[in-house]
Amino acid sequence: MLTFIVHRAIYSVFLLFIASVVIFYGLRVAPGEVTDILTNPANRSFMVANLEEKLGLNKPLPLQYFIFMGNFLKGDPGLSLINGEPIMTMLGRATGYTLKLGLLAAILTYAIAIPLGVIAAWKRNTVFDYGASLLAVLGMGVPNFLLAIILIQEFAVKRHWFPVAGYDSWKHIILPAIVLSAEAIAINLRVVRASVLEELNRDYVRTLYAKGLQERKILWIHVLRNSLPPIIALAGVMLRTLLGYTLIVETIFRWPGLGYQLVNSVLKRDYTVAQTLAILLTLAVIFFNLLADIGQQWADPRVRQGSK
Amino acid sequence: MGRSARSPGVEIAMASTNPTLPISTVPIEEIPSGAPGRTFGDRMAPLVANKLALFGGVLTLGFFVVAVLGAVVLLRGDLHYLYLDQNLRGTLKHPGDGSLLGTDNLGRSMFWRLIAGTAVSLWAGIAVTAISMTIGLILGSVAGYTRGWTDRIISALIDLTWGFPLILVAVIFVGMLEPGLTAVIVAISVVNWAGYARIVRAQVLTLKERAFIEAARSLGVPTWKIILVHLVPNMLGTMLVMASYYIAVTVIAEAGMSFIGLGAQPPTPSLGQMVSEGRKFLSKDPWIVALPGVMIALLVLALNTLGDGLRDIFDPRLRRW
Repeated sequence: MLTFIVHRAIYSVFLLFIASVVIFYGLRVAPGEVTDILTNPANRSFMVANLEEKLGLNKPLPLQYFIFMGNFLKGDPGLSLINGEPIMTMLGRATGYTLKLGLLAAILTYAIAIPLGVIAAWKRNTVFDYGASLLAVLGMGVPNFLLAIILIQEFAVKRHWFPVAGYDSWKHIILPAIVLSAEAIAINLRVVRASVLEELNRDYVRTLYAKGLQERKILWIHVLRNSLPPIIALAGVMLRTLLGYTLIVETIFRWPGLGYQLVNSVLKRDYTVAQTLAILLTLAVIFFNLLADIGQQWADPRVRQGSK
Repeated sequence: MGRSARSPGVEIAMASTNPTLPISTVPIEEIPSGAPGRTFGDRMAPLVANKLALFGGVLTLGFFVVAVLGAVVLLRGDLHYLYLDQNLRGTLKHPGDGSLLGTDNLGRSMFWRLIAGTAVSLWAGIAVTAISMTIGLILGSVAGYTRGWTDRIISALIDLTWGFPLILVAVIFVGMLEPGLTAVIVAISVVNWAGYARIVRAQVLTLKERAFIEAARSLGVPTWKIILVHLVPNMLGTMLVMASYYIAVTVIAEAGMSFIGLGAQPPTPSLGQMVSEGRKFLSKDPWIVALPGVMIALLVLALNTLGDGLRDIFDPRLRRW
C-alpha cells in the first residue's frame, strides 16, 4: 500500500511538471498581448517596451518559466498584470468561495443521492423507484447552464426567493450549489441503486435475514457498507467533473471563485493570474486522482490485502 | 486502474488440452459460420426490437439531416442571409406569427438560426470524434499490440489526459488560441482521445491472443497491417458505441463554452450561444431560449439512447460508469 502511494505520488509530481510547462508555454505564445490591453494606442511602442521591462516579459521564455515556477512554489506567484493586485490575496479569496460552493455541492450530492439510491433499490419497480429514475434521467440530460437559467427564472426573477447572481449572503450560494450538484446527484443515484441491487442478491443478506436482523440494519449498515466501493471509485471522477463545471456555474452566477477568475483572466489575457489558476486547478485534479486511486485501494479489502 | 492481469492465452491453451471437453462430431461444413455470415439486417435486429434505441436512432438521423442542411447554409455565402438578415421591425415574433418559429431580438429567423446552430453543435461533435477516435485507435492499438516501452509511454500519456475536466482544458486552450470553435474542438479532442485509447488498448490486449491474429502473425503479415486489417475492424462496434456517447459529451461541452462566451463567436450561431443571447428576453419571450434549449436536450437524449441501443448490440459489457 505504501509503495503504491509513493509510486503514484512521484508520478503525480511528474504529471504536474509536464502540465505546468504546457500551460505556461501555451498561454505565453497565445495571440493577443496583455500589453495591448494595458496601453494607450497613441504612444504604444514606447509604453510596451517599458511595460515589458517592468513585468519581466522581455526575458527568454524558459527563464520566465523558472522564475514563475520558483515564485509559485514559494507561494508568491506575483501580481495581476491587469490591476496589480497580489495574486495570493486574490487566490485566497477565490479559493474560499470555490471551496464553500464545492463543499455544499458535494454534501448535497451525497445527502440526496445515497438515501434516494438505497431506497430506490430497496423498493425497486415501485413508484418511488421510477420517480428516482426520472430524476436521474433529467439530471443527466439537462445541461447545467440550461438548468441554471431555468432556476434563475423561476426562483430568482419570478419569485424572488433567491438573488439572480452575486455573493453577498448565504442565499446566493443555494442556486449555484444546486446547479453544480445536479448531474453528480443523477449519476451517483444510478450507481448507488445498481450497487445496492447487486448486494441485495448476495447470500450474506439472506443469512442476516435468517439470523433475524432488522431490515433497517441489514440495509443501512451491511448492504450500504458493501455497496460503497463503486461510489468511492466514482468520487474521483465526480470531483474532477465538478471542478470543470465550477468554471461554467461560477461564471453564470458571477460567484467569485477560482473558476470565474480563471475565465475572466483568460478573456483579459492576464497571464500571471491565468497561469497560476490553471496550474493550481490542474494540481487539484492530479491530487484528486491520487486520492481516488488510494481511496479505491482502501475501500476494497480484497485490493488492500492483495497489495500487501 | 482496471488493467486485467489474466492472460487470455493461458486460458485458451488450457481449454484445448482439457480432456473432459466434448469432441465435436458435427462435420465442419455444417457448423454455422459466425459473424461474417450475418447480414446488416440481422445485426440491426436488436436495435429495431429495442424501442428506445430505435427512437434514439431515428431522432439522431433526423438531427443529422438537419445538420447537413445547416452545413450547406453555413458554407454557402449566398445563403447566409437566411440566418443573418436582421429585420428590426419584426423582432421577437412568436412562433407562427408570420414566420416559422418566430424571430429573435434582432428579427433574425429563429428557424434558420436553429438549423445553423444545430449544424455547428453536431459537426463540432463529429469533428472531435473523428480526431480523437483516430488518435485513440492508433495509439491504443500500438500500445496494446507492441507492449514494452511504447506501451509504457502511451499508457502514461493516457493517464495524463484521461479524466481531465473538459471545461478546464477547454478554457485553458481558449487562453492559448482564442475564443472560438477551433479552440473548443482542439481542447475536447486533446482530452477525449485518451478515453478511446484506454478501451482500444484493453481490447487489443485480449484480441491479440486470439487464434486469427496468431495465424496472421505466423503468415508474416506486417504489424501495421495486422492492426489495420485485423484488429481495427473488430473494434468498430465498440467505437460506434463510444462515439455516440462522446458526441453527446462534446455537444454539451461546446454549448456550455458558447454559453459563457468562449465557444462559437457571433455571427456564427450555436445552440449554447442562442440560449445565452436569449436570456435577456426570457421573462417576456421564453421561446427564444426554450427552442435552442430543447434542441440541445433532444440532441443529447437522441445520442445517448442510440448509444445505449448500440451497446446492447455490440458490446453488452461496455458499461458507461
